[in-house]
Amino acid sequence: MEKATILIVDDMEINRVLLANGFGDDYNIMEAENGEQAVKILDSGEKISAVLLDMMMPVMSGIDVLQHMNKNNSIKRIPVFIITAAEGEDILMAAYELGAVDVISKPFMMQFLKCRIGNVIELYRHRNDLEALVEEKANRLEIINKSMVEALANIIEFRDCESGEHVKRISGLTKILMTEISGMYSEYYLTTDEIEKVSTASILHDVGKIAIPDNILNKPGRLTKEEFEFMKLHTVKGCEILSNIPNIIDEDIYNYCYDICRHHHERWDGRGYPDGISGDDISIWAQVVAVVDVYDALISPRVYKSAYDHEVAVKMIYNGECGTFNPKVLKAFDKAIGKTGCFD
Amino acid sequence: MALIEELNKLGVNTNEALQRFSGNSALYERMIGKFPAAAQGLEVLKFLEEGDYATALENAHTLKGVTGNLSLTPLYKGYTEIVNLLRANDPEKAKETLLELIPVQVNIIECIEKN
Repeated sequence: MEKATILIVDDMEINRVLLANGFGDDYNIMEAENGEQAVKILDSGEKISAVLLDMMMPVMSGIDVLQHMNKNNSIKRIPVFIITAAEGEDILMAAYELGAVDVISKPFMMQFLKCRIGNVIELYRHRNDLEALVEEKANRLEIINKSMVEALANIIEFRDCESGEHVKRISGLTKILMTEISGMYSEYYLTTDEIEKVSTASILHDVGKIAIPDNILNKPGRLTKEEFEFMKLHTVKGCEILSNIPNIIDEDIYNYCYDICRHHHERWDGRGYPDGISGDDISIWAQVVAVVDVYDALISPRVYKSAYDHEVAVKMIYNGECGTFNPKVLKAFDKAIGKTGCFD
Repeated sequence: MALIEELNKLGVNTNEALQRFSGNSALYERMIGKFPAAAQGLEVLKFLEEGDYATALENAHTLKGVTGNLSLTPLYKGYTEIVNLLRANDPEKAKETLLELIPVQVNIIECIEKN
């Protein structure tokens, strides 16, 4: 294993040399004559596994070094040992409160000192490794989660042969519009993390189409009233499907999926489906997916229609030909996607 | 070896110090060689006489650490007492103790410088 590095901080050369001699065989040694030099080394990106810190030093004291390490949080990763010829209790208490792991009195027994410091370095190394491992696993889990969602979406694409890349575009457009809204309207309290999750969840907005028979889903002509009523059920059916597989999707993403799936055909004036809810009773993410879903359907060819130009599609949305949308959402849509400037 | 033997006669616990230096006697002697300059530079007496007790305490504290690590036992004991007296706000007694300690320190420094 690679040798760990110990930083020895003491203004007296005799003390530094003594410690360097004791630890030099098992560790790489770096030395600092005062707190300021120590902070420079700690901030240089050098991987330090432990600090042996004198308290009373010119330029910057041991307490100053500990305060610095608290500010940048490195105190959580690097164990600091106070090496002292018995300071006043108040200074030692302050050092402990600032996160020092142990106080070692001069004169010390080198063999004991090596054991004490070696044990703590090993413990911290183990803990830091575990934290890195957990982070790696969490990232991996997130990737798997996303893949699960994409796999489900792919199945719908196979059924609904005309929508092709539709779901991927919806995810991209959702992210663009959500980001625009978070910048324009702080009242929706949208975070980057939330936007990311909504964007992933939007992929599954039409998962319920799996439950719609081919003759309706891929019918070249206009749907009859009964057929349209059946088609509308894809929102509710989607939720049924999702509620059968709650554990394969991250809990947060699942909640967004469920909400978007059910409410991406609701309208601002309450004339949408399946629940007929209105205004901001419809979540902002469902409102966003609703408008980008309509936009993408308009600019794409379908068995029952050819593709509209961007300008025509945008005009149809603004004119309310595809239902009523939240004016705030439309304004953000125009700024990010529509780009007609007619809301400025 | 002459230095180690003479230091032993002056009450220095060289055995203990050598253990601390992992048996590296050359390094121990080299560090002992640095003590005279360190002690003279820290001038505890001067600060006591000037009434700068905070600096006197800081420097006595530093000397306590160094003499402890080098196992200069008589000096370590003396500086420990001086530090305690200064913490207890008794600079007069601290000065008295220092004046008694100085001849001992001079002996040890002379021994180091001679070898």
